[in-house]
Amino acid sequence: MNLEQQLKLQAFLDGELPECEAREILAWTQRDSAAASLLAELRNTRAAMVKSEPHLSVPESREFFWSKIEREIQRLEPQAASTPKVSIFTALRHWLLPASAVVTIIIAGMIVHFEFPNNATKTVVENVADADTTTVETTLASTDATTYRDASEGTTLVWFSSADDSPAQNKKSAIN
Amino acid sequence: MTKLVCAAMFFLLLAAMTAHADLKLEAQLVLGTNEAQTNGTPVSPQIEKKLKRLPLKWGSYFVISSQQFSLAKNETNYMVLGGSEMIVKNLGGERVELTLIDRGKITQSLHKGQTLVTNVKDENSFVVLRQADK
Repeated sequence: MNLEQQLKLQAFLDGELPECEAREILAWTQRDSAAASLLAELRNTRAAMVKSEPHLSVPESREFFWSKIEREIQRLEPQAASTPKVSIFTALRHWLLPASAVVTIIIAGMIVHFEFPNNATKTVVENVADADTTTVETTLASTDATTYRDASEGTTLVWFSSADDSPAQNKKSAIN
Repeated sequence: MTKLVCAAMFFLLLAAMTAHADLKLEAQLVLGTNEAQTNGTPVSPQIEKKLKRLPLKWGSYFVISSQQFSLAKNETNYMVLGGSEMIVKNLGGERVELTLIDRGKITQSLHKGQTLVTNVKDENSFVVLRQADK
């Protein structure tokens, strides 16, 4: 018996075949003992499945069962809606940390840009000179230096004069 | 957040690059006079305005010679202007050290717009040192 014949038997048992074909199958099962035994086996299997199928039933009516589900959904919804809000301080703290990191980086960049402080080996004198002040050192004891600063124009005048300079070059003759 | 950090890093990089840029300077030998005409070229109006605010006795100023040079940090430039030998050194952070041989040493911030004026050996002459215009 091939697979097609087996399927025909299954369809016959399920009542899916047209009447003439069903008569042919019935005649065939009466002639062929193998076909008859398979049909009997299939019939027994179906009968066993129908008997053993669990028959579950809800102890309440359908409407009452679904209304219980609906009430449970309605009870849970307000809880979800009333989730505690994040306080403003928590939100601020959330943003303050990265913001302060960025500000620190920018300040570090500005320090690098202006080279302040320039390096660790600077002397106190050099650190004083970091400001916009002018420092003047004369080489000879006989040399004198006069400093004038025009802050508004950003101009610094340093006038050296020494005993060796000609009278015309003397600071008193050059500077008012 | 990542974009902000990237921008900050870019700023740091840019700042570091700027901090190590060369200092472009201009030194002018200027003659002060009370005569209207001389052989030199009149100083620029910008410098003239600065000089006229200083307590100098002259009313007119003329450029005798001028030179521009770039200095990397800690680099020096030797020059002779108005009979005075001088060495300019870039101390970094837009600070310069001007050493006039046999006279003295001046340390001064020289940001854009700032000017250092000091006299030289030649009569009625002085040097104007500032950052060169780009």
